[in-house]
Amino acid sequence: MHPENDPKKIWQSQPVEPSVMTIHLLRRRVRQLHAKTRWGLVGSLSAPITGVFFYALAIKSRFHYPVLRPLFALAFAWSLAGMYFLQRGMWSASMPGDAALRTGLEFYRREIERRSKLFRRVMWCSFLPMVLVIGTFILALAETAGSAIFPNGMPFIALVVVWIVAYFAIRMRDEHELQRELDELSEIEKENR
Amino acid sequence: MNGVASQDELYRDVAEQFGSALERLARAYEVDPDKRRDLIQEIHFQLWRSFERFDARCSTRTWVYRVAHHVAASHVLRERRKFSNLVSVEELEMLPDKDHGHFAADRRINLDRLSALIQQLKPLDRQVIVSYLEDMDAASIGEITGLSPANVAMRISRIKNILARRFHEGGNHAS
Repeated sequence: MHPENDPKKIWQSQPVEPSVMTIHLLRRRVRQLHAKTRWGLVGSLSAPITGVFFYALAIKSRFHYPVLRPLFALAFAWSLAGMYFLQRGMWSASMPGDAALRTGLEFYRREIERRSKLFRRVMWCSFLPMVLVIGTFILALAETAGSAIFPNGMPFIALVVVWIVAYFAIRMRDEHELQRELDELSEIEKENR
Repeated sequence: MNGVASQDELYRDVAEQFGSALERLARAYEVDPDKRRDLIQEIHFQLWRSFERFDARCSTRTWVYRVAHHVAASHVLRERRKFSNLVSVEELEMLPDKDHGHFAADRRINLDRLSALIQQLKPLDRQVIVSYLEDMDAASIGEITGLSPANVAMRISRIKNILARRFHEGGNHAS
């Protein structure tokens, strides 16, 4: 084999500029990570709190249909609880200290399982409460606008339905891919024995 | 020596010793130079953090490569659109070579071709090929990846076959 074409030589002789991070930079990164986590928490809580505030105003002034109130309350309580569990799942995304004790195969399996769980969590904690909120909102509009919602509100309802179906389909495809990857890893583990 | 001091010292030693290898490893996982810089920084950061718990149960080299590959594998998994197109080494062996094994006199072009080939692979196979290209033996590759010696040998044989077919001057046979 021509030396210029030897893959090992090509790989090992590639030009690199090793970047060593100083300890000062590393410590700064830890502080940035903590600050980001704090701001993430504030940011994730601010959206549902604002939502609850406007919902309370709306209930007071517009919607007089008692049946929708518990539905809205359920949707928001679900959203808040979901936000908490979702955030908890994402925080655990930082690499655990003992990760280096695991082999590539073990780490990769855990990582895929974690992502698969996260997908399900997003479904239960974010997607479903959001669908409930939107559904309740449409019902409230229908009750307020009466029969006028059907010609006028149809594009909006159609858009919402398309969004829900597309989101669901993409999530399911991702989940299916992760499952396939897990099956392949199981095969490799079987071969390993 | 206290824990923090040894953590910092360990990191400094390792960064000096494996800095170039880590840069090469990052190239196997990320093609975009800006994202690659971020990935390298993340690898260094996680490496430094991991030394808080380093207990010499495995060699420093195994530890370093495990952390680096773990961070890089997570990076690949995050890029979901690209992840869905990745193939195993078995599948890659079946794929036709777009360049038909043509020899390129320019080392840069060959490096780009080699990087592109590695980046088609799923994370576990990438760990094997990168370790192979770094001249590690099957036992070390097994220690890093967790694959059995037979499994590592089978994958290396396939990798050699692919590399020979795609990089052997004008040829189509494994060397």
